[in-house]
Amino acid sequence: MTTPAAVSSPSDGRKWLARLSRTGGLAANLALGLPLLSGGLLLLQAGLLARILHQAIVGGLDLEHLGVPVGLFAAVLLLRILIGVVGEIAATAASEAIKLRLRADLVGTILAKPPVWSAARSSGALSGIVVEQVEAMDGYLTRYLPAMAQAALLPLAFAAFILPIDGIVALLFVVSAPLIPMFMALAGWGAQAASERQATALGRLSGRFADRLRGLTTLKLFGREAAETEGVALASEDLRRRTMQVMRIAFLSSAVLEFFAALGVAGVALYVGLTFLDLIHLRGAVPLTLEAGLFCLLMAPEVYQPLRLLAANYHDQAFAKAAVAEIAAQLGELPVAAAASLGAAPVPEITGPAALVLSQVGIAAPNERPVVVDAELTLRPGEHIAILGQSGAGKSTLLEAIAGLRPYEGTISLDSAGIATFPPALLRTRIGVLGQRPTIFAGSIADNIRLGRRDACDTVVRLAAKRACVTDFADELPAGLDTELGENGVGLSGGEIHRIALARLYLRDPGLLLLDEPTAHLDLDTESRVLDGLLEFARGRTMIVVTHSTAVAARLDRCLRIVHGRLLPAPRIVERQPPQRGAA
Amino acid sequence: MRAVLYFLPLFRQLRGPLLLSLGLSAVTLAAGIGLLGISGWFLTAAALSIAGSAFNLFGPSAGVRGLSFVRILSRYGEKLTGHNATLKLLSDLRRWLFERLFRIVPLGRRFGRADLVSRLIADLDALDTIFLIALGPIGTAGVVGIAMTVLLAFVLPAAAPIYAIGFILAVLAVPAALITASRRPGAEAAASSASLRQAVLDGIDGHADFTVFDSLDRVALGAGNAATRLAAARRRLGLLGSLASAVVQLLAGGILVGTLLAGLAALRAGAIDGPVLVGILLAVMASFEASAALVRSATRLAGSAAAAERLVAIAEAPAEITEPLAPVALPAGGDIRFDHVGFAYAGGLPVLADLSFAVATGTCVAIKGASGSGKSTIAQLLVRLADPTSGAVRINGVDLRAVSTTDLRRRVALMTQDAPVFSDSVRANLLIGRPDATDADLWQMLETVRLADTIRALPGALDAVLGEAGRSLSAGQARRIGLARTLLSPASIIVLDEPTSGLDADAEAAFLADLPGLSAGRTLLVITHAAVPPGFDRVHHLRGGQILG
Repeated sequence: MTTPAAVSSPSDGRKWLARLSRTGGLAANLALGLPLLSGGLLLLQAGLLARILHQAIVGGLDLEHLGVPVGLFAAVLLLRILIGVVGEIAATAASEAIKLRLRADLVGTILAKPPVWSAARSSGALSGIVVEQVEAMDGYLTRYLPAMAQAALLPLAFAAFILPIDGIVALLFVVSAPLIPMFMALAGWGAQAASERQATALGRLSGRFADRLRGLTTLKLFGREAAETEGVALASEDLRRRTMQVMRIAFLSSAVLEFFAALGVAGVALYVGLTFLDLIHLRGAVPLTLEAGLFCLLMAPEVYQPLRLLAANYHDQAFAKAAVAEIAAQLGELPVAAAASLGAAPVPEITGPAALVLSQVGIAAPNERPVVVDAELTLRPGEHIAILGQSGAGKSTLLEAIAGLRPYEGTISLDSAGIATFPPALLRTRIGVLGQRPTIFAGSIADNIRLGRRDACDTVVRLAAKRACVTDFADELPAGLDTELGENGVGLSGGEIHRIALARLYLRDPGLLLLDEPTAHLDLDTESRVLDGLLEFARGRTMIVVTHSTAVAARLDRCLRIVHGRLLPAPRIVERQPPQRGAA
Repeated sequence: MRAVLYFLPLFRQLRGPLLLSLGLSAVTLAAGIGLLGISGWFLTAAALSIAGSAFNLFGPSAGVRGLSFVRILSRYGEKLTGHNATLKLLSDLRRWLFERLFRIVPLGRRFGRADLVSRLIADLDALDTIFLIALGPIGTAGVVGIAMTVLLAFVLPAAAPIYAIGFILAVLAVPAALITASRRPGAEAAASSASLRQAVLDGIDGHADFTVFDSLDRVALGAGNAATRLAAARRRLGLLGSLASAVVQLLAGGILVGTLLAGLAALRAGAIDGPVLVGILLAVMASFEASAALVRSATRLAGSAAAAERLVAIAEAPAEITEPLAPVALPAGGDIRFDHVGFAYAGGLPVLADLSFAVATGTCVAIKGASGSGKSTIAQLLVRLADPTSGAVRINGVDLRAVSTTDLRRRVALMTQDAPVFSDSVRANLLIGRPDATDADLWQMLETVRLADTIRALPGALDAVLGEAGRSLSAGQARRIGLARTLLSPASIIVLDEPTSGLDADAEAAFLADLPGLSAGRTLLVITHAAVPPGFDRVHHLRGGQILG
């Protein structure tokens, strides 16, 4: 991760997680508070049961005389169930609200980064942090936090309540209960580290699936079914081994808990029993009643119950921390609430052809290898140029820098102001860009064209489609421009996708056009008609076209070439007659 | 629920570990019940006894200590065996699904990629924990419930039917009702989760486009809508779970009060004594540990059922290509013949109509055509990614539908228009074409496709890892990796679908000019829109689904 300073340490992650959980509002407070109330009522419930049994067994009272306490006992049971339900519902509501906001923040953070940043990352892993990693915090928010509050308060509260009844039992609880979290934390530390490794493995596995799925056809055509299936199985086995490392230690902490809980129950039973039998005398003169003894025994499992609950949900915290670490690793930072607004802000109206000046522009690849060195370029408003060069020479990189999509050194100024000083929305209206791999999203062809301007009416969309020769193939389709396109434009050829992307551009009114191979994948005939439409649109606009096509270069005002990272003038290409087609 | 049964064979392989885990968890519960029951009995008996010396201490105290240790050990063992078996199951499931996926390639028109990733990861996870979280606890609760009922029938018969009815409702009726009620919100949660992922993937794949069109808010809005739907569905699921959990607790409370009343009556009648009453009451309370996990089990069972249905939908999807029952061996040679071939996608316009042409062994032939003229379809028919709707495609005189696809694809190598660069080393990317190629072979091939200098300059050279979709390479360089991979293949027929898209004109011309020399006795069919240099044995022009010459 190259992002400076932003990479968070585990303690930052913990603080971030704690801050996140505090944004749940009233629902989150109810989720924490109601179980504590229910715990308090438990004392009443156990006390009533102990009294009923005492009066029936020692006092010899029959059912008619016990009606009131039995009724009360049932009422307390019912009340605790109600409180429990409300608490759970509040916890879910708080968690869903927090996750919803976090997802919006994450999407905002990803989109606010430059496109070259996301292009260099696995899209599977990035979408994974928004979907799975956020979901991995659900257990922490709905179960772990309430369990933590109960574990912190209830055992001690119970012990304090029992203290006046019997000091020894209270002492047993006070000594054993705090030992449990201590031992569990010892076991949990190991589990935490291992579980972080597991989250990484899970992310890699998810990325591997996305990657292999994209190339499933290629793998199948080369008969790699068996080898790749084996690879998937191996990756899964790796995940199993990592997970079992977490589990072996995590379960140790549950064994520790079992040990103390059993010790508590057995200890109370034996101590109270032996006191009754007069075999031990630790209480002094006051004799112990059956009611008091039973109350202690009934409370013994309940003292450990909050800790048991915490242990059952302990991994939720580990998963949440691992998820935070994964988010930090992918983003290089943890998102802060209220991410920058992505809405289109009103921009000043500037129209007409733009002047472009590049001065001493240098661009480096992510591995810091210089791609473009000391580029100088001055474009008069309305001028059209072609940039040629070997593939990989840096033509697309230069175009991306001018479009403000990639960091650079030196100055690039548009309309005699540095593009860095432009408000993003203004830059976007002044510059129209056609990238090398245009995106087709799920929706109709018309929807895809409307990416250029959302409120464009059908007539305008149709005109743009016609100018970009989209109608050539769209009109052959049963639903025309309303034909639905699947993910990645399934069913369209590369040339068709490029033409849809051009039509998008025709809905806008930029002063500078930056086009990366607008006619790639097109045959000469279609290319020349697409070019007619483009030149018509480009009249009164400044334009740079990166191209391999001599037919395109021949129709532009002048040519430049990138050789070894340097932008050099090139002889203007004179149009040739298109080669004869037909007899072969 | 039926879909879950589909996976029974996979569960059966792990029968031993799963039963062991089930047994251990029943032992854990029984030890807990015994511990609290004996403690209550002992304590009350001690309170009632007059003289300490008359009381036999050894039995109860040994029992209490013994049960404690049994519980600690069985708990640890239960968790370890259960999780290990579950993860083994996950591996088996992943392998199983990947095998299925390969069977039904190409997936493009039927399942989106994002949906598939979501299905694979989330559905498999939901399914693999079905035993650990769902079936195991429900089974254990059943065993414990029966045992407690039998115990009550002997000690406190009046309480036995109350206990039995309450437990049956909690173990069977509540989970069944919860599963039925969760079906709709569960499916909605899965669907909105998939569309959230799709929205984010779309946003990342089209990040540059959405940025330049100032439309990032559109991505954020789409993702936000999906996330809101997901949150609503999950809130509903949470509500149902909370209600179900309240019902289970109500049933437990009813059992407890009922047992108390029956016990008090029996005590009054002299049928049981005080210590037994306390012991049995505490045992009943301890047995509720079994029902506490039931709601979570039922929730998971509902999720697993939905996941299983989606997985079975993929597994059962018919392959678009059917393998011949009695495959014919493909004779040696590289003769290609299209006989009156027609092709149309289901419900679409015809792409090819009555197309006939032939390519002789060892020749180098180009098919030129405008975009959308059906060029790529010719390539797909040659490797049976699709079958013609009429006519036949033959190699060495044999209709491809009579040949096993394994045999066919060993003989015909196709570089598709979208052949990807995998997130893997350069070497691994190339070895896909020929797994036994030596480094020398690879370098020679990289020289051939004019990529050797580029790769040599990468840190690690052949070991350099290429980024997702090969984005650290330029589009042209990524194409050359795919090309090198295809040319490495030992196939006798090489089909290249638009091999030079993204290369500049000089490189394109030079490259195409090289191709005839590379065939080395192999048949080479190049499908392109570019100008074809001299050296090709023949150039066909495709227009309107037919060869013009």
